[in-house]
Amino acid sequence: MRRLSGVLCWVLVLGAMAWAGEDVLVMGVTAEPETLDPHVTVDNNSWRAIYYCYDRLVEYEGGTTKLRPGLAQSWEISEDGLTYTFHLRQGITFIDGTPFNAEAVRFNFERLFAIGKGPAGTFEFIKSVEVIDEYTIKFVLDAPFAPALSAFATDQGCIVSPGVMEHEVDGDWGQDWLSEHTAGTGPFYAAEWIHGMRLVLKRNEGYWGEPAKLAQVELRYVPEPEDLRMLLEKGEIDIAEKLTVDQIQSLKGVPGIRVFEAPSFQCHYIYLNCQRPYLNDVRVRRAISYAIDYQGIVDYIWQGTAVRMEGPVPIGFAEHIPVYQYPYDPERAKALLEEAGYDKGFTLRIMHSPVVPEWRQMAIVVQQNLAEIGIDVEVESYAWPTLRAKLDQGDFDMSFGYWTPDYADADMFTWFWFYSENWGLPGNRAWYKNEVMDDLVTAERVEINPEERQRLFEGIQWLAVSDAPYVYLVQAKYQLPMREWVKGYVYNPMLLNMPNFSGIYIEK
Amino acid sequence: MHWWIRGYATRGSEWRRALGRLWRSRLALVGLAIVVALVVVAVFAPWIAPYSPTKINLRERLKPPSVAHPFGTDDAGRDILSRVIYGSRVTLRICVLVVGLTLGIGTLLGLISGYFGGWVDEVLMRVSDVFLAFPALILAMAIAAALGPSLENAIVAMVAIWWPRYARVTRGQVLSIREIDFVAAARAAGASSTRIMLRHILPNCISPVVVQATLDLGEVVLTAATLSFIGFGAQPPTPEWGAMVSVGRNFLRDYWWYTTFPGLAILITVMGFNLLGDAVRDILDPRLRRGP
Repeated sequence: MRRLSGVLCWVLVLGAMAWAGEDVLVMGVTAEPETLDPHVTVDNNSWRAIYYCYDRLVEYEGGTTKLRPGLAQSWEISEDGLTYTFHLRQGITFIDGTPFNAEAVRFNFERLFAIGKGPAGTFEFIKSVEVIDEYTIKFVLDAPFAPALSAFATDQGCIVSPGVMEHEVDGDWGQDWLSEHTAGTGPFYAAEWIHGMRLVLKRNEGYWGEPAKLAQVELRYVPEPEDLRMLLEKGEIDIAEKLTVDQIQSLKGVPGIRVFEAPSFQCHYIYLNCQRPYLNDVRVRRAISYAIDYQGIVDYIWQGTAVRMEGPVPIGFAEHIPVYQYPYDPERAKALLEEAGYDKGFTLRIMHSPVVPEWRQMAIVVQQNLAEIGIDVEVESYAWPTLRAKLDQGDFDMSFGYWTPDYADADMFTWFWFYSENWGLPGNRAWYKNEVMDDLVTAERVEINPEERQRLFEGIQWLAVSDAPYVYLVQAKYQLPMREWVKGYVYNPMLLNMPNFSGIYIEK
Repeated sequence: MHWWIRGYATRGSEWRRALGRLWRSRLALVGLAIVVALVVVAVFAPWIAPYSPTKINLRERLKPPSVAHPFGTDDAGRDILSRVIYGSRVTLRICVLVVGLTLGIGTLLGLISGYFGGWVDEVLMRVSDVFLAFPALILAMAIAAALGPSLENAIVAMVAIWWPRYARVTRGQVLSIREIDFVAAARAAGASSTRIMLRHILPNCISPVVVQATLDLGEVVLTAATLSFIGFGAQPPTPEWGAMVSVGRNFLRDYWWYTTFPGLAILITVMGFNLLGDAVRDILDPRLRRGP
């Protein structure tokens, strides 16, 4: 008994010490990273942990989509748009002591393409990488690509130290080691990761730029949103992600808590696996799009914190055009199913994950909506990694999902989603293939004339609605509850779920 | 002498006496009343429930208890009272299936194991050892996860973890009964093994198994609710109590009724089964019988 109370004392003392620190930020999160390797993961939960452990050649300027110099001091783009030459900053070393130079940058792209996972898709446009001299590097493109420069500012463009090769095992490019560690030049580094508990980022004291104000960022894993909310109310955590819409509504007006709210490009869909029976018939996919009560979902599940999507490219993107929105019309849906010869009805399964609580609520609505047109839906809940593995293998009928852009170009919402080479996690999660669409999305990537390119985007948007491989549900507002003492938070819609730890500070 | 060996002639009066004892125990009566009520509610659910348990009505979401919705509504606007009422059907179905199947499988295997002995016994008992060696809930979770989340698979998982208990109890009984004279007499008279097992041994070893089964009912309800709570059991929109509690926990602070009523339903049902189970044990097991 005495030992127990002794332990308790220590826990309290240590807890109080950790709590009192004003240069320590604790962010409560409901999902852990899948890996810390920027060349492997396309998961926002991983990006949140690693984005500020690395730097990129170019960076987003504050909350905007404008680009500013990062590890590259300056750059030149050739007239024909085919070569990008970056002049690198000098005198920077990675956290492991390796010097940063053009060779290190080249190594990154070699590693990225050798591993060939989701992040490699972002740099599909690169033909070759050439080291000009120690601090100059040249990228040659297959064809001009408008958002190329922005791609370098995404998490996929994180520059990893070539030192990771010291940890290479069986030709894995150090993946095993880098999945648990970070090796960047950024303002933080991952100091400790206790799975299922917390991931601690510590300030990189030798950072070449303006040092972070926080000495430490703790990402505390709290799987239950209700616990997360309680911790936030008690002030034990400073930022909470992610709470349910209902919980956030009740948090508004609680003294000491601020709910940051802004429009975002976080889009929620239902992926319809086009390789599966029934769903391979476009009439069935259209019927499903007609059967869903979008307004009910926006009004009651999202309680006005989302708007209905209008086609695949989100509202707010320059390339967005108002396309056809399937109305909620069960009669028409039934007629389509009858036409397809499925008037006797059939059964489909739909996946969701508790990591996004709204998915379960929408699943109940969708289940009933589809029951009304004769489709029996079995709802299945999976843990986040299982859900993602199933998406990657195409082992599902329908699934809820969301997508956030990494750069402000409609390419994010077209090439990734509809190109048939991108099946699975890289982006085409509907396992959709239409040769006309393939031509359009590849043409869009190389078109230089902005008007021509816009015409292509318009075609893609119409075709995407007509073929209906996805049910375009809602575009949600970004809501991030935090304590009022958290200052310096800057929201960037391209870096959703990734608060700017390098600029945040605490003022109690 | 073994207490469970009774003549066929006296069985009727034994049962009458047993019912008399049940009647005199107040707690047992409470248990019985709860179980009877559960069965009645489950059978007549469509007539008792004021609304459909699955029909959503988003306009009415998360409404507190009122005259229209005595238990309030959930986050899809479904009436919680109706869902709790229909949930009794799910619970009862799980109970009957799990206890019925485990009782059948366990008793049969126990009977074979105890009667034949030798390598049959060795094999069956070592297999049951394997199942008993795992923590029951962990094993059930593993099986349910491997088979995929659904109510049927949860039932399969529960049967898989439960049968060894019955096999063990039955085998123990058979081992002692098969040495008794009347079994030897039956064998001498030329009765087949099947006939001896089913007609002579089984009736004489069934009461401890029945006691075990009644005691287990409450645990079955709880395990089923637990599996559903962690997502391995009933899937939406099945109105299963454990699943309702699970979903409702994220609403607990602002919408207390969501979790509270299905939680109470589990509490009361498990209590009912346990009280009844205790009483049945007291009655059928004379070693625990109290004075008149």
